[in-house]
Amino acid sequence: MAIKLTGGEIYDPAHQIDGVKQDLYIVDGKITHVLPENEKVTQTFDLSDCIVMAGAIDLHTHIGGGKVNIARTMMLEDEHAHPDYGNDIRRSGNGHIIPSTFTAGYRYAEMGYTACFEPAVLPVNARQAHMEMADTPMVDKGGYVLLGNDDFLLNMLQDGVRQSTINDYVAWILHASQCIGIKVVNAGGIHAFKFNQRRLDVDEISPAGITPRYIINKLSRAVHELGIPHPLHVHASNLGIPGNFKSTLATMSAAEGLPIHLTHIQFHSYGAEGDYNFSSAACEIAEAINSTPNVTADVGQIMFGQTITTSGDTMMQYFGHEHASPKKWTVMDIECEAGCGVIPFKYKDKSFVNALQWAIGLEIFLQVNDPWRVFLTTDHPNGAPFTSYPHLIKLLMDRSFRNDVFSMIHVEAQKMSNLASMDREYSLYEIAVMTRAAPAKILGLTSQGHLGEGATANITIYRKQNDIEQMFAKPSMVFKNGMQIVKDGEVIKTVIGVTHVVKPDYDASIEKPLTKYFDDYQTISMPNFKISNDEMVECIGSEIEIHPCK
Amino acid sequence: MQFENVTCPHCGILCDDLSIDVNGSVLKPVNALDKHCMKAYEDASFEESTLFTPIVDGKKTSLDDAIKKASELLNSSKQTLVSGLIADVQSCREAVALTDKLQGVIDHANGSGMIANVAVMQRHGKVKTTLAEARNRADNVIIFGSEVLNRFPRFLDRILSPKKTLGNNSTINKTITIIDSQIATSPIEFNQKNIQYLKLNALSLDSIIQNLQRVVHDNPDPSELHDDDTKALISIYQTMLSSNYTTMVWNTGLFDNDIAEQTVQALTMMIRAIMKTHRCVGLPLGGSKGEITASQVATWQTGVPLPISFSTGAPIHDPLLYNGMSMLENKEADCLVWVATYSPDDTPPKTDIPTIVIGHPKMKIDNDSAVFIPVGVPGIDTRGLACRTDSVATLPLQKIRSVDLPTAQDVLIKITGML
Repeated sequence: MAIKLTGGEIYDPAHQIDGVKQDLYIVDGKITHVLPENEKVTQTFDLSDCIVMAGAIDLHTHIGGGKVNIARTMMLEDEHAHPDYGNDIRRSGNGHIIPSTFTAGYRYAEMGYTACFEPAVLPVNARQAHMEMADTPMVDKGGYVLLGNDDFLLNMLQDGVRQSTINDYVAWILHASQCIGIKVVNAGGIHAFKFNQRRLDVDEISPAGITPRYIINKLSRAVHELGIPHPLHVHASNLGIPGNFKSTLATMSAAEGLPIHLTHIQFHSYGAEGDYNFSSAACEIAEAINSTPNVTADVGQIMFGQTITTSGDTMMQYFGHEHASPKKWTVMDIECEAGCGVIPFKYKDKSFVNALQWAIGLEIFLQVNDPWRVFLTTDHPNGAPFTSYPHLIKLLMDRSFRNDVFSMIHVEAQKMSNLASMDREYSLYEIAVMTRAAPAKILGLTSQGHLGEGATANITIYRKQNDIEQMFAKPSMVFKNGMQIVKDGEVIKTVIGVTHVVKPDYDASIEKPLTKYFDDYQTISMPNFKISNDEMVECIGSEIEIHPCK
Repeated sequence: MQFENVTCPHCGILCDDLSIDVNGSVLKPVNALDKHCMKAYEDASFEESTLFTPIVDGKKTSLDDAIKKASELLNSSKQTLVSGLIADVQSCREAVALTDKLQGVIDHANGSGMIANVAVMQRHGKVKTTLAEARNRADNVIIFGSEVLNRFPRFLDRILSPKKTLGNNSTINKTITIIDSQIATSPIEFNQKNIQYLKLNALSLDSIIQNLQRVVHDNPDPSELHDDDTKALISIYQTMLSSNYTTMVWNTGLFDNDIAEQTVQALTMMIRAIMKTHRCVGLPLGGSKGEITASQVATWQTGVPLPISFSTGAPIHDPLLYNGMSMLENKEADCLVWVATYSPDDTPPKTDIPTIVIGHPKMKIDNDSAVFIPVGVPGIDTRGLACRTDSVATLPLQKIRSVDLPTAQDVLIKITGML
C-alpha cells in the first residue's frame, strides 16, 4: 500500500533541494523516493501545480500548562467571539488568541504544522502541560522545562557545586518532567521578584547571591555536556525594557561560545535613543548573531491587534501590567521554582512603541543572514496568535507588501526604522529552512523537518497562488505519519501525535540531596514529582518518543 | 500490603505523604492524618465478599445493560445536565467529551461556589501564590475565618508550621493572624505562640475584608481615634508593611454567596495595592470536591470555565443560564448524569428526571428510576490525576487495591460511544 505524490515542486533544505520536481512515495508512514518492489501504489496525487514541504515545526508556542488556562479564563470575550463548532470527527472548542486545546491542534494542522513545542513547562506543572498537549490533537508535542529560578539549582550554584552535579540535576529534571529541552526565563529574576526586587541585570548579584550570567553559563554548559540536542533556550533578562539589547548581548556572551538559543529576541532588541527613549537595536542584535555561530534565535514577531501575553517572567510581567489592555492581569509565584504572569495586550500600529516593535522584529528577520539560525515565531500568543504565521511569511517574502504596511504605521516609528530600505525577500527555500529543516535540526528530530528517504511522512502541500499569505494559510493537503489529515485547509481526519523527549544519562545519586530537599521544603514528595513513562501513556494520555543525546 | 506516598484527594491540599495499609478490601491509614482522610478510607473499605453491581430501575443488572440503558436515556434526552464531577482528570475529560457529543450542559456539583473566583479573574485577574511558596517564603499570614483550618486540617501543620524553610527564622516562625467575625465559624484553641486569634465585632468575614481594603486604601493615622475593629485592621495593615511576604488565605465558600464576588474582588484589589511597594499574595483554598480538577480540564478542553453549554455546537460559558443546580430546580434539564467517585456521601441532588449515576461503589441511591453504575475510587482502585487547590500542582493518584470495578473513565467512554 503506497501513496504516490507526483509532479510536485519539492523544497527540502535538509537535502539542498530547492524547487525540484520529484516524485515521493509514502509507505507505512514513511517517505521513500523509490517504490519498493513489493509495494503497489493504491492512491496517486497529481501535484503538478503544487509546492511540497515537510510538515512545519513551531519551536516556541505556548499551548499548554497553567498559564495558558489562566489566559483562557481571563479572555472569555475572545473565546466566545471565536466558536469552533464540532462535528463527527472533531471536538468543539473556542478561541483565536488563546484557543482551547482541540482547536489549537486543528488550527495548526490546517496551516500545515505537524509539531509544536511548549517552551515554558514548570516542573511542578509538567503533568498539566502534558495533559493539555495530550488533548491537542493532530500535532506532535514537546516541552522545555524551566530552570534557573528554582531554589534547588540556585542553592547548588551558590554553594559552588561541581559542574557534573549540575549536569546530573539537569538530566534528572528532564526525566522527571518528560521534556526535550531546558528553558531559562529571566535567570534569577523570577526568584528575585519573590524578594520584592523589581529588576535584575545580567551581571547583578541576585538575592540568591549569584548573577544571571553565572546561571546561564552553568546551564548552557550542562546542556552541552549532557549532549542534549536543543541548546539552552533562553528568555533573557530585562524583557521589554528600552536599552535591553545590552543585556541580550551579555546573555549571549554568558554561554562562552557554547550553543545558546535566544528566544523571542525581538522583545530583547531595544535601544533607548530618540525622543521617545525607545529605539531599534535590531542591527546590533543581528550583527551579533551573524558573527557568533553558537547563537540561534527565534524572533517573537508582534502583529497589530488584540492578544494576551503569558510568561514565566513575573518580574517583567508585573512591570508591564500597567499597559494591560483590557485592564486585567495575573501574577503568580510558583512552588519555589518559577512563576507566571498573564497580561492581555493590544498592539496598535498607531502606537509609536508597538509600531517600532513590529518593525524591529522584521529588521531582525531581514538582517540575520543565515535562515538556519533564525526561527519564525510570534511567541504565540505573546506577540500574536500563531495563526498569523501566513501573514508574517508574506511580510518576509514580499517587499512591496511589507513596505505598504510599513507606510501605515506610526510616522515617528517609520523615521526610527530602516525597514523600508531593506531589499531582502525570503525565498520559499528559506521559509522551508526556518519553519522545517532548522527547527528539526536544532531539536534533534532526525526523522522530521525533511523529505529524505525514510523520513516520517509529515508532508504539507500548498497549491501555488499569487497571494503567498493565502497559500500558507490553507494548504491543499497535509499528511501526518503518512495519513492525510487536511484537505483544502480543513481537517478531514483526527490523529494524535506523540510527545518528544530526551533522557540524558545521569548519576542517580543526585536523588539523595533531592529527596532531602523535597522532604525539607516541598509540598510534594519526590516520587510523586516524577512523571514515569507509563504515567505519560496511561494517565496523561500521550505516547513518548525518546530522542538520543549526542 | 503497605503503600507509601499515597495522595489523598479528599481535600484541596492533596497531601501525598500517606501510608495506607491495604488488607483485602480494607484500607487503613498508618500515619496520623486528618478526619477527612480517615473517613474517606474508612468509607472506601468493605468486606471482601461484597459484590458491587449496577442497578437499573431498582434491580441489579450487568454493566453492559446499565450502559445500554444509560445511552438510551441520553439518546432520548433533549437537554442533559452532566454534573457532580467529583472525580479525577480522566473522568472529567470524558465527562466533557460526553457533554460535547450530547450538546448538553456541564457544571460541577459546587458550581455556584466557583463563580465568584472565575468572575473576578475575568474582570481583574489575580495575584496568587502556591503551597510551597507560602511554606517557604511567607513571614506573615492572614487567615480569614478559623473554619479555613477546619476545612483544610493539615494546612497549618504542613504549610504554616514548617520545621525548615528556604528562608530564615521569620519564615519558620511566621506571624499568623486568624480573623473571625462575630459569627465565628469555627473557633479553635491555638497553642502556637506565633498565632494570633482575632475575633472582630463585624458580623461577617465579608465586612471584615471590605473594611481591611478600606484601611489599605485610606491608610488612616493609627494615633487617631478608631473603633476596635479598625484599630485591629490598621495593626494588620502595618504588619503587612513591615513584612517581606504577606500571604492572605481564604476559602470562598465561607463568604456570603450573594456578595462573594465583591469580597474576592476586595481581596484582589487590596493585594494589588500592597504589591505596589511590598510583596503580598493571595492563597485561596478550595477544591475539596475536585472543583479545581474539573475546572482545569473543562477550561483547557473548551476554552471557557464551568458551567458550559454545548447547545450551539460550540462551548458557551454563562454562570447564570447554566448553573446546574438552578437548572434542576427550574426543570430546565430532562436527564442528569452525575459523576461522583470519591465519597459515598456525594449523592445526586433530588430530582424526578431520569438520572444516571456513575459513583462511589458504596453510594446509596434514593431513586428507583436511576441507573447506578458503581466504579472504582480514584487513588484507591484506579490510577488517576488530581489538581491541587493552587491550580498549579497535579498529583498522581495510585491504584492500591484490586477490585472488580470499572473506571468512571471507561464507563463514560462506553456511554459516549453508544450515542
